[in-house]
Amino acid sequence: MNGKVPVTVLTGFLGAGKTTLLNRILTEQHGRKYAVVVNEFGETGIDNDLVVDADEEVFEMNNGCICCTVRGDLIRILGGLMKRADSLDAILVETTGVADPAPVAQTFFVDDDVAEKTRLDAVITLVDAAHCEDQLEHSHEAPEQVAFADIVLLNKTDRVDAATLARIEARLRAMNPYCRIIPTDRCDVPLDQVMGQSAFDLERVLEIEPDFLDSDHDHSHDDAVTSVTVQADRPLDPDRFQRWFSALLQEHGQDILRSKGILDLNGESQRYVVQGVHMLMESDFMGPWPAGEARRSRLVFIGRGLEQLDLEKGFAACQAA
Amino acid sequence: MSGGVERVDGLDGGFPSSQLEHDGELIRTGAPVTGVVGLGEVIVTAHGDGGLRFFGADQPPVIAPVHDGVILSMARAGADRVVTGGEDGAFRETATDGTTTLIARLGRRWVDCVAAHPRRGHKACSVGGRVSVWIGAAPEPVELEHPSTVAGLAFDPTGKRLAVAHYGGVTLWTRTGTGWRPDRLEWAGSHVSVAWSPDGAYVVSAMQENALHGWRLQDSLHMTMSGYPAKPRASAWVGSRPYLATSGADQIVAWPFDGEEGPMGRAPLAVNYAGPALVSAVNGLPGTAVVFAGLDDGAVLMSDLEAKPQALVLRGTTGEAVTGVAATPSLSHLLVGDSAGTVLWAPLKA
Repeated sequence: MNGKVPVTVLTGFLGAGKTTLLNRILTEQHGRKYAVVVNEFGETGIDNDLVVDADEEVFEMNNGCICCTVRGDLIRILGGLMKRADSLDAILVETTGVADPAPVAQTFFVDDDVAEKTRLDAVITLVDAAHCEDQLEHSHEAPEQVAFADIVLLNKTDRVDAATLARIEARLRAMNPYCRIIPTDRCDVPLDQVMGQSAFDLERVLEIEPDFLDSDHDHSHDDAVTSVTVQADRPLDPDRFQRWFSALLQEHGQDILRSKGILDLNGESQRYVVQGVHMLMESDFMGPWPAGEARRSRLVFIGRGLEQLDLEKGFAACQAA
Repeated sequence: MSGGVERVDGLDGGFPSSQLEHDGELIRTGAPVTGVVGLGEVIVTAHGDGGLRFFGADQPPVIAPVHDGVILSMARAGADRVVTGGEDGAFRETATDGTTTLIARLGRRWVDCVAAHPRRGHKACSVGGRVSVWIGAAPEPVELEHPSTVAGLAFDPTGKRLAVAHYGGVTLWTRTGTGWRPDRLEWAGSHVSVAWSPDGAYVVSAMQENALHGWRLQDSLHMTMSGYPAKPRASAWVGSRPYLATSGADQIVAWPFDGEEGPMGRAPLAVNYAGPALVSAVNGLPGTAVVFAGLDDGAVLMSDLEAKPQALVLRGTTGEAVTGVAATPSLSHLLVGDSAGTVLWAPLKA
């Protein structure tokens, strides 16, 4: 796509199976040229010619906005890889188990040099079925990794019973309603379901289903990651929406991990699509509404403490008079 | 940013090709040009395939395979030699005849930055946050540690100080009788390159935030030079004033560094190019106020910052970003390297 090299990000706690998946991609997709970026303290045993050690250096921009953190080492490494004489088919970035995925994703929004040559293909989060309930409860990073996932590989499902698996899936779904959850035993997923996803293309936002399952509010402690979907049947007033949405991201961008939406703006014939990572947002008109489909605006938020943001009320007030 | 110079009208479809490029030789190496350095009448290009190429007036280019993988950085280390750092973890010195020697192998991590002081023979390179410095002919390096990965290295004109750019500022190392003394020049944000003024009075870094940051060393006074649409990563000291000519805008932005206050409170000189392309490479011509600007659409323009400021199109738009440009001091030849690995080596004198 546009000649940009796709970058796949693998997150997940230590032992969830990142290295197994990585090695499967590298050995089964032979004939393709990959660069693998690993953390120097990460797991070893990556079977590839081109392995680059990264430091996971998270840099704040000097405007002091903590939502605009980027991975400084990734900017440098991707820049170096783009100077190679041979072209790469893809770049795989493995993060440490305790890493917050936001700076990785934001790097592709913030740095022009990175955005010019590469594109974020998908964030894949590996989840260990046997240990994830504990991890989601007791760590700050595990829920973030699920929140940022385009694909959750629910691994080691052979170690839990069917009821546990169903409970875990429901919980993951409540945290992140638009990720694809793929249950596996030993990362034995067809690779075309994890590579070449273009998950950050605005076009993919259009695949959001009109009706989501209701969010599960059982995990109600303050720090829990949840999702909220808001809908509107009447067209939105463009100015009112922009004012509300940018103020929301400005003030609460730290709590809103990701947002995606398809909107019906008053006076516009095309669908308006938005997606954001914390307070960074991109948007565009993405073609007419499909014939026979109701022009209903819908916006999904994933984050912490969303109940306190009056999202339903705020969104409803954006509707044109 | 504003300046008092007249515009050169470019064309909407880019700049037209020039006579100079028809007279010159076009070498398609297939390996992106990652650096261009002048060694007197010889100009060296570094490439993404690990090779160096030395271009001289009356000879075919000397090709030297030096690194296994991308050459990430290159610096002039003497009248006839450069030092390079590569993806292969090697720090090497190579002469214009192509003979190359390994200075050090630093493990499997990238050698991101290199610097040298040609007159005194000092050399330095960085891997992650560690800088290794070889003083004169000393066989063993001194190791200097930094809190984050080093993104820029530069010796001052005397060779007694070394500026190191990293996250959060620049560390200034001064060689003392007993070792190296660090002084931190702090400024929030990520600093991606560093340069000294020719008189050693100022240190200027380029930043992730599309700005330059400068320090006047006698009193650590800060200077912020902002407004760039892209990172002003490339710069060159031009003329006797001197100007710091910088990349990162749709014009050459040249900051005056004369007088007590340098560029503070003054507008930079700007040479507009009247097109959407941004300057991606910049270089001067020693002893003159001539500046060469390579654009990210492939064009190369020449201006004299102290004469009637206008730009001459040396090369038209190609569609591939210029990554390095240099002319021989005799003005016999111009060299242009780009991100596709094409090198233009062209006679400059009509």
